[in-house]
Amino acid sequence: MAPNLHLAHISDVLLTWAVFSYAFAMFGYAAEFASGRRVEVRGGGAEAVKQGTRRAELVGRGAVGLTVAGWGFHLSSVITRGLAVHRVPWGNMYEFSCMVTLVAVTIYLFLLTQPRVRTALTGKRRTSESVRCLGAFVMAPVVLYLGLAGTVLYAAPGPLVPALNSYWIKIHVVAAITATGAFMVSGVITVLYLLKERYERGLPPLHVSLLARLRSPMNPDRVSLGPGTAAAIEMTSARGGLMRSLPSAAALDRLAYRVITFAFPVWTFAIIAGAIWAEQAWSRYWGWDPKETWSFITWLGYAAYLHARATAGWRGRRAATLSLIAFGALMVDYYVVNTVITGLHSYAGIS
Amino acid sequence: MSETLVNDELTPLSTAPTPVAPGGRRGVRPTGRRLWRQLTSMRTALLLLTLLALAAIPGTFIPQRGLDPVKVDNFLRAHPHLGPLMNHLSLFDVFAAPWFAAIYLLLFVSLVGCLVPRIRLHAAALRRRAPDAPRHLMRLSASTRWETDSTPGEVADAARAVLKSSHWRVDRRDEADGVTTVAAERGYLRETGNLIFHVSLLVLLVGIALTGLYGYKGTVLVTDGGSFANAREFYDVFEPSRLFSDSQLAPFSFSLDKFTAAYQPNGEPTSFNARIHYRTSPSAAAVPYDIEVNHPLNIDGAKVFLVGHGYSLRISVTNAAGHTVYDGDTPFLPDDSLFTSHGVVKIPDLDGRKQLGLTGFFYPTEGFGSNGSVTSIYPAPDRPVLSLAAWSGDLGMKSGVPQSVYSLNVAALKNIGTTQLTPGKSWRLRDGTKVTFRGVDQWATFQVAHEPGKRTLLAGAILVIAGLLASLRVRRRRFWLRAVPASSGDSGGRTVVMAAGLARGEAESFGVELEDLVGRIAPDDGAQAGAPGTEES
Repeated sequence: MAPNLHLAHISDVLLTWAVFSYAFAMFGYAAEFASGRRVEVRGGGAEAVKQGTRRAELVGRGAVGLTVAGWGFHLSSVITRGLAVHRVPWGNMYEFSCMVTLVAVTIYLFLLTQPRVRTALTGKRRTSESVRCLGAFVMAPVVLYLGLAGTVLYAAPGPLVPALNSYWIKIHVVAAITATGAFMVSGVITVLYLLKERYERGLPPLHVSLLARLRSPMNPDRVSLGPGTAAAIEMTSARGGLMRSLPSAAALDRLAYRVITFAFPVWTFAIIAGAIWAEQAWSRYWGWDPKETWSFITWLGYAAYLHARATAGWRGRRAATLSLIAFGALMVDYYVVNTVITGLHSYAGIS
Repeated sequence: MSETLVNDELTPLSTAPTPVAPGGRRGVRPTGRRLWRQLTSMRTALLLLTLLALAAIPGTFIPQRGLDPVKVDNFLRAHPHLGPLMNHLSLFDVFAAPWFAAIYLLLFVSLVGCLVPRIRLHAAALRRRAPDAPRHLMRLSASTRWETDSTPGEVADAARAVLKSSHWRVDRRDEADGVTTVAAERGYLRETGNLIFHVSLLVLLVGIALTGLYGYKGTVLVTDGGSFANAREFYDVFEPSRLFSDSQLAPFSFSLDKFTAAYQPNGEPTSFNARIHYRTSPSAAAVPYDIEVNHPLNIDGAKVFLVGHGYSLRISVTNAAGHTVYDGDTPFLPDDSLFTSHGVVKIPDLDGRKQLGLTGFFYPTEGFGSNGSVTSIYPAPDRPVLSLAAWSGDLGMKSGVPQSVYSLNVAALKNIGTTQLTPGKSWRLRDGTKVTFRGVDQWATFQVAHEPGKRTLLAGAILVIAGLLASLRVRRRRFWLRAVPASSGDSGGRTVVMAAGLARGEAESFGVELEDLVGRIAPDDGAQAGAPGTEES
């Protein structure tokens, strides 16, 4: 059956709306996050602080509203795409990216509603404020991912290639999408953990120490910095910085761990389901195809993270670094393997 | 070897082996033991996991024999110095390389060394009773206290009933002075799952080994109307495993009625179908079946897959004397995704003296490529054209050197003409030989595979998932309750109850569960105590 181009167009428009909603939500989250500090710095009476907090809270809630709206557009875009092409809407890289980000946003919204997560992050059960501070950091990669998907990876609507035409696409690919979306969220939380952990150890933020190293007299190629940059560094490097508004490193670490303990079994399942499918379609369950190999490397990376988290001298920063390396392997698995290396999984649909 | 091992050592919920005290006997044995302890430590496992991941990376960037042998040959030709060195280091067979095997075998040895003592310990832990309550319950971060008119015994019974109904392992103890304590524990499934997960990795290894030792696979090209019987000599390529014997080949056979492919307007394929008739034994009745890309034929423990397709051209050659010297389906091999294909016909005996060779290119839909040359512009045979060149001379078929049936070395041959034919058309060579392009058929390649370890692998995989879910999602936790009777004095004649709990890994989150448990143990009194402490530790 030929694709319904009208519906496909509606799907594209809905996706654009979703991207804009997420982008505005990101600014909202960022504003709320940053204001937490500004009010304190400005001084002023208790009343001013209270008022400022209330305003920030409103902005934050607005951002959540925008996220939910964006999620609605996003979901509708995926559904209309599926209706337009008369099949599951995850048959090429563009569609896969849309699904992965949908999962990531869904997980973020789910965390927002969880009292246990709220308590774990700041001890306040009633408000979602503590989870909202993750908002900007989740929205940023989502917008980036969708931007890439809508431009570079975009594939015109069409049917599936025969190798994909199996009910296993509903099992294997859905598991891969879910795990990837969750790993994306855990990756964001892990980055925040590393930043906060650095702050808690009393070290200046990474960019400050890097710039300081560049500016040091020891460096032969001294970089001259404009007065504006210097002022910005002064502001952000003041002890406290934005880092103070983040939940404690320990809480972020635990949250990242919990998301990974969800994603890891799903990823394992995706690999196993993939092996069973490969046995149906290509006559062998495992053939060290680049996609298979990088999925396995990703799996080993997260397995190493889980072990490191339980090894004295490795938990904390080192374990977190391992989990980010594993996420890097996942990104190689996704972007590099699909576009650069030729293998059996060349379904990108881009030329 | 697992996430919980070292964690256990550092928390009060430990079930892990206590490190053996160093020292003891001197000499070779302690060194061996120290090495063994090193090998089975978590740190080594971590190192080996990382090494295995790193070792797999070259296998995805360097061409691999198992995936694309042609690419490896090209690489070797392009790098005459580096290539052989890389070959020597097994870099073209990374996943079969000794150093790759060394890493994963060490990992499995480390795993076994870690698992055996842990299984023993866990079995012991499963039989042990819940540990005593700590002296100062209220010091735990998740704890609560309330007063009641019930006696300590009644409180303990109520607690026991509630805990039992939620599948806790409960132990009631009566201490001196009428004090009653209840100790409860649950979440053993975490460690059970953890052990199952790691044991099932070994099961997977067994499954892989079974297939590697007893399986076979082979490929065969069958043209429309042709047939195949499952015996070694009928395969084009046959790869037996180490312990394979021919008696393992099931006596089935099949014939290909017709292969069909459908394409989108842009040339992308939408479906492939091979209509066959198969027999499970030579005397059995023929059964029709459609083999498709995701729909193999299961037969007698083997599977038949559709793995490739192409065009087979019906060509006949008649010599000047009018005798037909060649008439058959000639498979052409595709060169690109639009099925521009090449093939040859070799006639070693044209008329008793001369030999004739034909080399051809076939275009299912003839058109012009971007550089102006003739090529196929669509994979379906919409406008089929066969471009032929004829050669005379010694084809070299009597030299005894095996030759490919898809290529002809024309270096020593003389070109005696070229032409373009459409189906049904003939071409008469100067010497009177007539070549007729009679029509277009298709061929399909089938892979037959027998993997005896498949069931073991599936069982292992299911256990892997189940074990992983239990070990990552179940939380080990403990709950204690102490009821002090009124006679102790400081409570104004009422029983004082203290309850507290611990959850491993997420201490702060036990508060919610504690609140729920206390609410059920003492629906009236407990509620007065207010929400139990849920502050983060």
